[in-house]
Amino acid sequence: MKYIILLFFIFIIYSLGSALYYMMKDGEGSKRMVKALTMRVGFSIALFLFVIFAFWMGWLTPTGVK
Amino acid sequence: MQSRQDYYVPEGSYWPILGSVGMASLLGGFASSLHGHTAGITAMILGFGIILFMVFGWIGQVVHESEAGKYNLQVDRSFRMGMGWFIFSEVMFFGAFFGALFYVRQFAVPWLGGAGNNQFTGEVLWPQFKAVWPLLNMPLPDNYTVPKGIIDAWKVPAINTMVLLTSGATITWAHWALVNNKRNQLIGGLIATIVLGIIFLGLQVLEYGEAYNHLDLKLTSGIYGSTFFMLTGFHGLHVTLGTIMLIVILMRAIRGHFNKDRHFGFEAVAWYWHFVDVVWLGLFITVYWL
Repeated sequence: MKYIILLFFIFIIYSLGSALYYMMKDGEGSKRMVKALTMRVGFSIALFLFVIFAFWMGWLTPTGVK
Repeated sequence: MQSRQDYYVPEGSYWPILGSVGMASLLGGFASSLHGHTAGITAMILGFGIILFMVFGWIGQVVHESEAGKYNLQVDRSFRMGMGWFIFSEVMFFGAFFGALFYVRQFAVPWLGGAGNNQFTGEVLWPQFKAVWPLLNMPLPDNYTVPKGIIDAWKVPAINTMVLLTSGATITWAHWALVNNKRNQLIGGLIATIVLGIIFLGLQVLEYGEAYNHLDLKLTSGIYGSTFFMLTGFHGLHVTLGTIMLIVILMRAIRGHFNKDRHFGFEAVAWYWHFVDVVWLGLFITVYWL
């Protein structure tokens, strides 16, 4: 289950990184950066919902003492 | 291809030397305050004030020059390069703290408990010690503030995650407004993002109060407290900076700065906000929850 979270993070960091690349490289009028950032927000919300769902299903429990 | 003559070379500037004086006063004051000199605190405040004055003065001048049309595309590219290096340093900064957390959790604490080839470390030094994370039962608790518990991830931190994720959505809404030439939506999106940033900071202050006053979870609570406050504290500092920068961008947007094709100032601050948002997601999952 932790690997799914990792996978989400790879998607999030990839979209954030590509937004950075487009910000550095693209000239005027390009919308690639804002598109990549929209993907970033989408993946992040999906990850948060997944974490809540995994917690609710009991797939993931916090480590250590409570 | 532009020739070198096209590059805008500004007049000689006093901002860098002023910044150096501020920095020297801040750090020198900090060092002398560690030695117990009260004048050190005064020097720190003075240095901080000078740095603030320098930052706003310098950036204000750059904004003025930009709006006066003095910058061509080559200068624009140099700003992007500067932002790229700044982001690189930020990634390294948080990478170091996350790295410290993972190293402690995966290696250092288990080794103290006798994991790996460190069986004798456990048996000879602290036979009673059990390596669990969060490390609330320390091998030598006398030297630390022993916390009564940790922050519940599903209370304030979860709310704060929703607040920051929403702010990520509102800044993106503002970004789309800017590239589609919708000024009012841009201003509305920026205001919403700033308000959410301030709500986040307020809740973080509440949470720190809870940690310090009720849980005895402090910077001095051993490695758990140290990593917790280092990571979340520096993140909070970044949200504070991001909020200030968003307020500057909002003021510029209200004054009619930026157009749908040229708005690097907005892009840089928006990206920074997304970065801080992603760092928080990492914190929520690895510091608060798992």
